[in-house]
Amino acid sequence: MDAKHTYAFYLGCIAPNRYPGVEAAAIKTSKKLGIDLVPLKGASCCPAPGAFGSIDLNVFYAMAARNLVLAEQMKTDIALVCNGCYKSIWEVNHKLKHNDDLRDGVNEVLKEVDMEYKGTINVYHLAELLYDPMIAGVEKIRESVTNPLTGTRIAVHYGCHLIKPKKDREFAHQEMLNTEGPTWMEEMVAALGAEPVEYRYKMLCCGAGGGVRGYDIVHSLDITNEKLLNLKDVGIDALTDICPFCQLQFDRGQIEIQEKFGAVYNLPVLHYSELLGLAQGMSPQELALDLHGISCEPFLQKVL
Amino acid sequence: MAKAKGYPEALETKLRDRALHADDSNPQFTKTVEEISRTIPHMCFQCGTCTSSCPSAPRSSYRIRKFVRRVVLGLENEALTDPDLWLCTTCYSCTDRCPRDIAPTDTIMAMRNLAFKRDIIPINFLKTVQAIYKSGHGVPNNDVNRAARVKLGLTADPPTTHMYPEYIKGIQKIIDHYKLKENADRIIKEAEG
Repeated sequence: MDAKHTYAFYLGCIAPNRYPGVEAAAIKTSKKLGIDLVPLKGASCCPAPGAFGSIDLNVFYAMAARNLVLAEQMKTDIALVCNGCYKSIWEVNHKLKHNDDLRDGVNEVLKEVDMEYKGTINVYHLAELLYDPMIAGVEKIRESVTNPLTGTRIAVHYGCHLIKPKKDREFAHQEMLNTEGPTWMEEMVAALGAEPVEYRYKMLCCGAGGGVRGYDIVHSLDITNEKLLNLKDVGIDALTDICPFCQLQFDRGQIEIQEKFGAVYNLPVLHYSELLGLAQGMSPQELALDLHGISCEPFLQKVL
Repeated sequence: MAKAKGYPEALETKLRDRALHADDSNPQFTKTVEEISRTIPHMCFQCGTCTSSCPSAPRSSYRIRKFVRRVVLGLENEALTDPDLWLCTTCYSCTDRCPRDIAPTDTIMAMRNLAFKRDIIPINFLKTVQAIYKSGHGVPNNDVNRAARVKLGLTADPPTTHMYPEYIKGIQKIIDHYKLKENADRIIKEAEG
Protein backbone atom coordinates (compact mmCIF):
# COMPACT_ATOMS: atom_id res chain seq x y z
CA MET A 1 0.00 0.00 0.00
CA ASP A 2 1.22 3.51 -0.73
CA ALA A 3 1.96 5.56 2.33
CA LYS A 4 -0.30 8.60 2.34
CA HIS A 5 0.59 10.15 5.69
CA THR A 6 4.16 11.30 6.22
CA TYR A 7 5.67 12.19 9.58
CA ALA A 8 9.14 13.12 10.83
CA PHE A 9 10.06 10.17 13.07
CA TYR A 10 11.33 11.56 16.35
CA LEU A 11 13.31 8.66 17.88
CA GLY A 12 14.29 9.78 21.37
CA CYS A 13 17.01 7.78 23.18
CA ILE A 14 15.87 4.43 24.54
CA ALA A 15 14.15 3.09 21.41
CA PRO A 16 17.10 3.60 19.01
CA ASN A 17 19.84 2.99 21.59
CA ARG A 18 18.43 0.11 23.68
CA TYR A 19 15.45 -1.43 21.83
CA PRO A 20 16.24 -0.81 18.13
CA GLY A 21 13.60 -3.40 17.21
CA VAL A 22 11.01 -0.82 18.25
CA GLU A 23 12.41 1.64 15.70
CA ALA A 24 12.64 -0.99 12.93
CA ALA A 25 9.15 -2.32 13.66
CA ALA A 26 7.58 1.14 13.86
CA ILE A 27 8.89 2.03 10.38
CA LYS A 28 7.90 -1.29 8.74
CA THR A 29 4.52 -1.80 10.37
CA SER A 30 3.43 1.81 9.86
CA LYS A 31 4.25 1.65 6.15
CA LYS A 32 1.79 -1.25 5.79
CA LEU A 33 -0.86 0.98 7.36
CA GLY A 34 -0.26 3.97 5.11
CA ILE A 35 2.05 5.91 7.45
CA ASP A 36 5.49 6.93 6.22
CA LEU A 37 8.04 7.69 8.96
CA VAL A 38 11.00 9.72 7.66
CA PRO A 39 14.18 10.54 9.63
CA LEU A 40 14.34 13.73 11.70
CA LYS A 41 18.01 14.52 11.15
CA GLY A 42 19.98 15.93 14.06
CA ALA A 43 17.31 15.39 16.72
CA SER A 44 18.54 14.97 20.30
CA CYS A 45 17.14 13.68 23.59
CA CYS A 46 13.67 15.23 24.01
CA PRO A 47 15.15 16.21 26.71
CA ALA A 48 14.26 13.77 29.50
CA PRO A 49 11.31 15.54 31.21
CA GLY A 50 12.13 14.20 34.69
CA ALA A 51 15.80 15.17 34.70
CA PHE A 52 15.81 18.39 32.65
CA GLY A 53 12.38 19.61 33.73
CA SER A 54 13.35 19.22 37.39
CA ILE A 55 16.58 21.17 37.00
CA ASP A 56 15.44 24.14 34.94
CA LEU A 57 12.19 24.28 32.98
CA ASN A 58 13.56 27.05 30.75
CA VAL A 59 16.35 24.79 29.44
CA PHE A 60 13.79 22.03 29.05
CA TYR A 61 11.59 24.29 26.87
CA ALA A 62 14.53 25.49 24.74
CA MET A 63 15.96 22.02 24.16
CA ALA A 64 12.58 20.57 23.17
CA ALA A 65 11.96 23.61 20.94
CA ARG A 66 15.18 22.89 19.05
CA ASN A 67 13.83 19.44 18.14
CA LEU A 68 10.51 20.99 17.13
CA VAL A 69 12.25 23.54 14.87
CA LEU A 70 14.03 20.70 13.01
CA ALA A 71 10.60 19.33 12.06
CA GLU A 72 9.26 22.83 11.30
CA GLN A 73 12.13 23.22 8.83
CA MET A 74 10.95 20.00 7.13
CA LYS A 75 7.35 21.32 7.20
CA THR A 76 6.38 17.93 8.60
CA ASP A 77 4.42 16.88 11.68
CA ILE A 78 6.23 14.70 14.23
CA ALA A 79 5.38 11.10 15.14
CA LEU A 80 7.08 9.41 18.09
CA VAL A 81 6.94 6.11 19.98
CA CYS A 82 7.70 7.10 23.60
CA ASN A 83 5.42 8.60 26.27
CA GLY A 84 8.34 10.47 27.85
CA CYS A 85 9.21 12.07 24.51
CA TYR A 86 5.51 12.92 24.06
CA LYS A 87 5.56 14.75 27.38
CA SER A 88 8.51 16.88 26.23
CA ILE A 89 7.86 17.35 22.53
CA TRP A 90 4.06 17.55 22.47
CA GLU A 91 3.70 19.49 25.69
CA VAL A 92 6.39 22.06 24.96
CA ASN A 93 4.90 22.58 21.47
CA HIS A 94 1.50 23.10 23.09
CA LYS A 95 2.88 25.46 25.77
CA LEU A 96 4.85 27.54 23.28
CA LYS A 97 1.89 27.83 20.92
CA HIS A 98 -0.32 29.17 23.72
CA ASN A 99 2.06 31.30 25.81
CA ASP A 100 3.72 34.25 24.09
CA ASP A 101 6.05 34.91 27.03
CA LEU A 102 7.44 31.36 26.93
CA ARG A 103 7.79 31.48 23.16
CA ASP A 104 9.67 34.81 23.27
CA GLY A 105 12.00 33.47 25.95
CA VAL A 106 12.75 30.34 23.95
CA ASN A 107 13.31 32.27 20.73
CA GLU A 108 15.79 34.58 22.42
CA VAL A 109 17.96 31.54 23.16
CA LEU A 110 17.34 29.82 19.82
CA LYS A 111 18.56 32.99 18.08
CA GLU A 112 22.05 32.07 19.30
CA VAL A 113 21.87 28.90 17.18
CA ASP A 114 20.15 30.60 14.19
CA MET A 115 16.79 29.02 14.86
CA GLU A 116 13.28 30.33 15.45
CA TYR A 117 10.33 28.45 16.86
CA LYS A 118 7.21 29.32 14.84
CA GLY A 119 4.59 26.85 16.03
CA THR A 120 3.76 25.48 12.59
CA ILE A 121 3.68 21.73 13.20
CA ASN A 122 1.80 19.19 15.31
CA VAL A 123 3.13 16.28 17.38
CA TYR A 124 1.55 12.82 17.59
CA HIS A 125 2.28 9.56 19.37
CA LEU A 126 2.35 6.74 16.81
CA ALA A 127 -0.18 4.84 18.96
CA GLU A 128 -2.74 7.62 18.50
CA LEU A 129 -2.15 7.61 14.73
CA LEU A 130 -2.57 3.83 14.62
CA TYR A 131 -5.81 4.09 16.59
CA ASP A 132 -7.20 6.97 14.49
CA PRO A 133 -9.46 5.62 11.69
CA MET A 134 -8.73 8.78 9.69
CA ILE A 135 -5.06 7.72 9.59
CA ALA A 136 -4.92 3.93 10.18
CA GLY A 137 -7.51 2.62 12.67
CA VAL A 138 -8.30 -0.67 14.38
CA GLU A 139 -9.95 -2.21 11.28
CA LYS A 140 -6.93 -1.47 9.12
CA ILE A 141 -4.65 -2.95 11.79
CA ARG A 142 -6.79 -6.10 11.85
CA GLU A 143 -6.61 -6.38 8.04
CA SER A 144 -2.80 -6.05 8.10
CA VAL A 145 -2.36 -9.11 10.35
CA THR A 146 -0.90 -12.18 8.63
CA ASN A 147 0.20 -14.02 11.77
CA PRO A 148 -2.60 -13.60 14.34
CA LEU A 149 -1.50 -13.84 17.96
CA THR A 150 -4.37 -16.25 18.66
CA GLY A 151 -4.40 -18.04 22.00
CA THR A 152 -2.29 -15.48 23.85
CA ARG A 153 -3.37 -13.31 26.77
CA ILE A 154 -1.86 -9.83 26.71
CA ALA A 155 -2.18 -6.99 29.24
CA VAL A 156 -1.60 -3.32 28.46
CA HIS A 157 0.52 -0.79 30.34
CA TYR A 158 -0.58 2.66 29.08
CA GLY A 159 2.06 4.62 30.97
CA CYS A 160 1.50 8.16 32.19
CA HIS A 161 2.79 10.88 29.92
CA LEU A 162 0.81 10.25 26.75
CA ILE A 163 -2.62 10.67 28.32
CA LYS A 164 -1.97 12.47 31.61
CA PRO A 165 -2.70 15.17 32.64
CA LYS A 166 -5.88 14.90 30.58
CA LYS A 167 -6.91 18.53 31.15
CA ASP A 168 -4.07 19.61 28.86
CA ARG A 169 -4.49 16.93 26.22
CA GLU A 170 -6.27 17.45 22.89
CA PHE A 171 -6.93 14.04 21.34
CA ALA A 172 -9.22 13.62 18.35
CA HIS A 173 -10.91 10.67 20.05
CA GLN A 174 -12.76 10.90 23.37
CA GLU A 175 -11.68 7.35 24.24
CA MET A 176 -8.13 8.62 24.66
CA LEU A 177 -9.21 11.19 27.26
CA ASN A 178 -10.26 8.43 29.66
CA THR A 179 -7.33 8.21 32.08
CA GLU A 180 -9.03 6.06 34.74
CA GLY A 181 -9.99 3.01 32.67
CA PRO A 182 -9.10 3.38 29.00
CA THR A 183 -9.60 0.44 26.63
CA TRP A 184 -8.45 1.79 23.25
CA MET A 185 -5.12 -0.04 23.50
CA GLU A 186 -7.00 -3.25 24.36
CA GLU A 187 -8.95 -2.76 21.11
CA MET A 188 -5.64 -2.58 19.24
CA VAL A 189 -4.38 -5.72 21.02
CA ALA A 190 -7.59 -7.61 20.13
CA ALA A 191 -7.11 -6.54 16.49
CA LEU A 192 -3.92 -8.65 16.48
CA GLY A 193 -5.89 -11.77 17.46
CA ALA A 194 -4.74 -11.81 21.09
CA GLU A 195 -7.00 -11.70 24.13
CA PRO A 196 -6.61 -8.40 26.01
CA VAL A 197 -6.60 -8.92 29.78
CA GLU A 198 -7.65 -6.45 32.49
CA TYR A 199 -5.85 -6.35 35.85
CA ARG A 200 -6.00 -4.57 39.18
CA TYR A 201 -4.70 -0.96 39.32
CA LYS A 202 -3.97 -0.91 35.57
CA MET A 203 -3.23 2.81 35.46
CA LEU A 204 -0.46 2.68 38.09
CA CYS A 205 2.79 4.30 36.93
CA CYS A 206 5.76 2.02 36.01
CA GLY A 207 7.84 3.73 38.70
CA ALA A 208 10.67 4.98 36.50
CA GLY A 209 9.68 8.59 35.84
CA GLY A 210 10.54 11.92 37.42
CA GLY A 211 14.18 10.90 37.87
CA VAL A 212 13.13 8.44 40.60
CA ARG A 213 14.73 5.44 38.86
CA GLY A 214 18.12 7.13 39.18
CA TYR A 215 17.48 8.76 42.58
CA ASP A 216 16.12 5.78 44.48
CA ILE A 217 16.07 2.56 42.46
CA VAL A 218 14.54 0.47 45.28
CA HIS A 219 11.60 2.84 45.65
CA SER A 220 11.18 2.92 41.87
CA LEU A 221 11.26 -0.89 41.52
CA ASP A 222 8.83 -1.34 44.40
CA ILE A 223 6.19 0.39 42.25
CA THR A 224 7.09 -1.82 39.27
CA ASN A 225 6.90 -4.86 41.53
CA GLU A 226 3.36 -3.95 42.59
CA LYS A 227 2.33 -3.88 38.93
CA LEU A 228 4.06 -7.20 38.24
CA LEU A 229 2.29 -8.82 41.22
CA ASN A 230 -1.09 -7.66 39.90
CA LEU A 231 -0.21 -8.89 36.41
CA LYS A 232 0.87 -12.27 37.77
CA ASP A 233 -2.56 -12.67 39.40
CA VAL A 234 -4.36 -12.64 36.04
CA GLY A 235 -1.95 -14.98 34.22
CA ILE A 236 -0.75 -13.40 30.98
CA ASP A 237 1.69 -14.33 28.22
CA ALA A 238 3.04 -10.82 27.65
CA LEU A 239 2.75 -7.18 28.71
CA THR A 240 2.59 -4.53 26.00
CA ASP A 241 3.51 -0.86 26.31
CA ILE A 242 3.86 2.26 24.17
CA CYS A 243 6.87 3.73 25.95
CA PRO A 244 10.45 2.40 25.76
CA PHE A 245 11.27 3.87 29.18
CA CYS A 246 8.35 1.97 30.76
CA GLN A 247 9.53 -1.05 28.76
CA LEU A 248 13.04 -0.72 30.19
CA GLN A 249 11.60 -0.46 33.70
CA PHE A 250 9.47 -3.62 33.27
CA ASP A 251 12.01 -5.59 31.23
CA ARG A 252 15.44 -4.84 32.75
CA GLY A 253 13.60 -3.98 35.96
CA GLN A 254 12.56 -7.62 36.38
CA ILE A 255 16.24 -8.58 36.55
CA GLU A 256 16.87 -5.87 39.17
CA ILE A 257 13.76 -6.94 41.12
CA GLN A 258 15.08 -10.49 41.17
CA GLU A 259 18.42 -9.25 42.54
CA LYS A 260 16.95 -6.88 45.13
CA PHE A 261 13.66 -8.50 46.17
CA GLY A 262 14.17 -12.12 45.09
CA ALA A 263 10.91 -12.14 43.08
CA VAL A 264 10.92 -13.87 39.69
CA TYR A 265 8.27 -13.18 37.03
CA ASN A 266 9.83 -13.93 33.62
CA LEU A 267 7.14 -11.83 31.95
CA PRO A 268 7.92 -10.89 28.32
CA VAL A 269 7.48 -7.14 27.74
CA LEU A 270 6.92 -5.89 24.19
CA HIS A 271 6.29 -2.45 22.74
CA TYR A 272 3.06 -2.38 20.72
CA SER A 273 5.13 -1.81 17.55
CA GLU A 274 7.04 -5.03 18.23
CA LEU A 275 3.78 -6.88 18.83
CA LEU A 276 2.31 -5.47 15.62
CA GLY A 277 5.51 -6.51 13.82
CA LEU A 278 5.10 -10.13 14.95
CA ALA A 279 1.43 -10.08 13.91
CA GLN A 280 2.37 -8.69 10.49
CA GLY A 281 4.84 -11.56 10.04
CA MET A 282 8.15 -9.99 11.11
CA SER A 283 10.56 -12.50 12.67
CA PRO A 284 12.01 -12.18 16.21
CA GLN A 285 15.37 -11.53 14.50
CA GLU A 286 13.90 -8.62 12.54
CA LEU A 287 12.75 -7.20 15.87
CA ALA A 288 16.01 -7.86 17.80
CA LEU A 289 13.97 -9.45 20.58
CA ASP A 290 17.19 -11.08 21.84
CA LEU A 291 18.17 -7.65 23.23
CA HIS A 292 15.32 -7.82 25.74
CA GLY A 293 16.41 -8.51 29.31
CA ILE A 294 13.57 -11.03 29.81
CA SER A 295 13.35 -13.76 27.20
CA CYS A 296 10.34 -13.50 24.87
CA GLU A 297 10.67 -17.23 23.96
CA PRO A 298 7.68 -18.60 25.92
CA PHE A 299 5.47 -16.01 24.21
CA LEU A 300 7.05 -16.59 20.78
CA GLN A 301 6.45 -20.34 21.04
CA LYS A 302 2.73 -19.63 21.26
CA VAL A 303 2.58 -17.27 18.28
CA LEU A 304 5.11 -18.61 15.76
CA MET B 1 8.48 -3.05 51.17
CA ALA B 2 11.97 -4.39 50.65
CA LYS B 3 14.78 -3.15 52.89
CA ALA B 4 15.85 0.36 52.01
CA LYS B 5 19.30 -0.72 50.88
CA GLY B 6 21.06 1.91 48.86
CA TYR B 7 18.78 4.76 50.00
CA PRO B 8 20.46 8.14 49.94
CA GLU B 9 21.69 9.21 53.38
CA ALA B 10 19.46 12.28 53.51
CA LEU B 11 16.41 10.13 53.01
CA GLU B 12 17.40 7.87 55.90
CA THR B 13 17.64 10.89 58.17
CA LYS B 14 14.23 12.10 56.97
CA LEU B 15 12.67 8.74 57.71
CA ARG B 16 13.85 9.00 61.35
CA ASP B 17 12.41 12.52 61.77
CA ARG B 18 8.69 12.52 61.10
CA ALA B 19 7.83 15.73 62.97
CA LEU B 20 6.66 18.65 60.84
CA HIS B 21 9.06 21.26 62.16
CA ALA B 22 8.25 24.94 61.83
CA ASP B 23 10.28 27.35 59.81
CA ASP B 24 10.06 31.03 58.85
CA SER B 25 7.45 31.75 56.23
CA ASN B 26 8.43 33.42 52.95
CA PRO B 27 5.36 34.70 51.05
CA GLN B 28 7.53 35.26 47.96
CA PHE B 29 8.09 31.49 47.79
CA THR B 30 4.36 30.95 47.17
CA LYS B 31 4.39 33.50 44.35
CA THR B 32 7.54 32.13 42.74
CA VAL B 33 6.23 28.55 42.76
CA GLU B 34 2.98 29.75 41.17
CA GLU B 35 4.92 31.63 38.48
CA ILE B 36 7.19 28.73 37.53
CA SER B 37 4.53 26.03 37.77
CA ARG B 38 1.77 28.06 36.08
CA THR B 39 -0.73 26.47 38.43
CA ILE B 40 -2.76 27.59 41.46
CA PRO B 41 -1.70 25.88 44.73
CA HIS B 42 -3.36 28.67 46.77
CA MET B 43 -6.71 27.09 45.77
CA CYS B 44 -5.86 23.92 47.73
CA PHE B 45 -8.32 22.95 50.48
CA GLN B 46 -6.22 20.01 51.70
CA CYS B 47 -8.66 17.23 50.77
CA GLY B 48 -5.82 14.75 50.20
CA THR B 49 -7.02 13.38 46.87
CA CYS B 50 -3.48 13.99 45.60
CA THR B 51 -1.74 11.92 48.28
CA SER B 52 -4.29 9.12 47.97
CA SER B 53 -3.64 8.97 44.20
CA CYS B 54 0.14 8.99 44.59
CA PRO B 55 2.14 5.82 43.80
CA SER B 56 5.03 7.04 45.95
CA ALA B 57 2.96 7.76 49.06
CA PRO B 58 2.31 4.15 50.20
CA ARG B 59 6.02 3.30 50.11
CA SER B 60 7.63 6.40 51.61
CA SER B 61 7.07 9.48 53.78
CA TYR B 62 6.48 11.59 50.62
CA ARG B 63 3.18 13.45 50.90
CA ILE B 64 2.26 15.67 47.98
CA ARG B 65 -0.50 17.31 50.06
CA LYS B 66 2.12 18.39 52.59
CA PHE B 67 4.28 19.94 49.86
CA VAL B 68 1.31 21.90 48.48
CA ARG B 69 0.58 23.14 52.03
CA ARG B 70 4.19 24.23 52.39
CA VAL B 71 3.84 26.25 49.17
CA VAL B 72 0.72 27.97 50.48
CA LEU B 73 2.36 28.72 53.86
CA GLY B 74 5.62 29.85 52.25
CA LEU B 75 7.66 27.22 54.10
CA GLU B 76 10.51 27.44 51.64
CA ASN B 77 13.37 25.84 53.55
CA GLU B 78 11.24 22.98 54.76
CA ALA B 79 10.06 22.22 51.22
CA LEU B 80 13.34 22.60 49.36
CA THR B 81 15.54 20.68 51.81
CA ASP B 82 13.17 17.72 52.16
CA PRO B 83 14.65 14.71 50.29
CA ASP B 84 11.10 13.49 49.60
CA LEU B 85 10.87 16.27 47.00
CA TRP B 86 12.65 13.90 44.61
CA LEU B 87 10.30 10.91 45.06
CA CYS B 88 7.58 12.20 42.69
CA THR B 89 7.50 10.01 39.56
CA THR B 90 5.56 12.77 37.77
CA CYS B 91 2.74 10.35 36.92
CA TYR B 92 0.23 13.24 37.05
CA SER B 93 -2.47 11.13 38.76
CA CYS B 94 -2.87 13.86 41.41
CA THR B 95 -3.13 16.50 38.69
CA ASP B 96 -5.77 14.45 36.89
CA ARG B 97 -7.90 14.05 40.00
CA CYS B 98 -7.47 17.36 41.88
CA PRO B 99 -10.98 18.76 42.53
CA ARG B 100 -9.53 22.29 42.70
CA ASP B 101 -7.95 22.04 39.25
CA ILE B 102 -4.43 22.46 40.63
CA ALA B 103 -1.49 20.66 39.04
CA PRO B 104 0.38 19.49 42.17
CA THR B 105 2.93 17.68 39.95
CA ASP B 106 3.92 20.99 38.41
CA THR B 107 4.38 22.60 41.83
CA ILE B 108 6.86 19.80 42.58
CA MET B 109 8.72 20.56 39.33
CA ALA B 110 8.83 24.26 40.29
CA MET B 111 10.17 23.43 43.77
CA ARG B 112 12.82 21.19 42.24
CA ASN B 113 13.88 24.08 39.96
CA LEU B 114 14.19 26.31 43.06
CA ALA B 115 16.11 23.63 44.97
CA PHE B 116 18.59 23.39 42.08
CA LYS B 117 19.25 27.15 42.43
CA ARG B 118 20.56 26.28 45.92
CA ASP B 119 22.66 23.40 44.53
CA ILE B 120 20.21 20.85 45.99
CA ILE B 121 19.87 18.23 43.29
CA PRO B 122 20.41 14.45 43.05
CA ILE B 123 23.58 13.66 41.12
CA ASN B 124 21.81 11.35 38.63
CA PHE B 125 19.88 14.34 37.24
CA LEU B 126 23.15 16.15 36.55
CA LYS B 127 24.73 13.09 34.90
CA THR B 128 21.92 13.17 32.35
CA VAL B 129 22.87 16.79 31.58
CA GLN B 130 26.50 15.76 31.08
CA ALA B 131 25.50 12.89 28.75
CA ILE B 132 23.28 15.11 26.60
CA TYR B 133 25.94 17.83 26.47
CA LYS B 134 28.44 15.29 25.16
CA SER B 135 26.34 13.28 22.67
CA GLY B 136 22.89 14.85 22.44
CA HIS B 137 21.43 11.71 24.04
CA GLY B 138 20.58 11.01 27.68
CA VAL B 139 20.92 7.30 26.93
CA PRO B 140 23.66 7.05 24.25
CA ASN B 141 24.31 4.24 21.75
CA ASN B 142 26.82 1.43 22.44
CA ASP B 143 28.69 -1.24 20.44
CA VAL B 144 26.31 -4.14 21.15
CA ASN B 145 23.40 -1.98 20.05
CA ARG B 146 25.25 -0.72 16.94
CA ALA B 147 25.79 -4.32 15.79
CA ALA B 148 22.12 -5.14 16.45
CA ARG B 149 20.96 -2.08 14.50
CA VAL B 150 23.00 -3.08 11.46
CA LYS B 151 21.48 -6.59 11.54
CA LEU B 152 18.03 -4.98 11.50
CA GLY B 153 18.91 -3.03 8.38
CA LEU B 154 19.12 0.23 10.34
CA THR B 155 22.12 2.55 10.32
CA ALA B 156 24.67 1.70 13.07
CA ASP B 157 23.95 5.07 14.65
CA PRO B 158 20.43 6.53 14.52
CA PRO B 159 19.92 9.62 12.31
CA THR B 160 20.02 11.83 15.39
CA THR B 161 22.96 13.80 16.81
CA HIS B 162 24.72 10.41 16.82
CA MET B 163 24.85 10.30 13.01
CA TYR B 164 25.05 14.07 12.61
CA PRO B 165 27.37 15.25 15.43
CA GLU B 166 27.56 18.70 13.78
CA TYR B 167 24.24 19.40 15.54
CA ILE B 168 25.76 18.93 19.01
CA LYS B 169 27.34 22.40 19.00
CA GLY B 170 23.88 24.02 18.92
CA ILE B 171 22.76 21.91 21.87
CA GLN B 172 25.87 22.89 23.83
CA LYS B 173 25.19 26.57 23.11
CA ILE B 174 21.65 26.26 24.48
CA ILE B 175 22.84 24.46 27.63
CA ASP B 176 25.69 26.94 28.09
CA HIS B 177 23.28 29.88 27.77
CA TYR B 178 21.84 28.72 31.09
CA LYS B 179 25.29 27.80 32.51
CA LEU B 180 23.85 24.36 33.15
CA LYS B 181 26.87 22.25 32.21
CA GLU B 182 29.17 24.48 34.25
CA ASN B 183 26.96 24.14 37.33
CA ALA B 184 26.49 20.39 36.82
CA ASP B 185 30.25 19.83 36.63
CA ARG B 186 30.85 21.95 39.73
CA ILE B 187 28.15 20.29 41.85
CA ILE B 188 29.24 16.78 40.83
CA LYS B 189 32.87 17.65 41.62
CA GLU B 190 31.91 18.98 45.04
CA ALA B 191 29.86 15.85 45.75
CA GLU B 192 32.27 13.27 44.41
CA GLY B 193 35.59 15.07 44.84
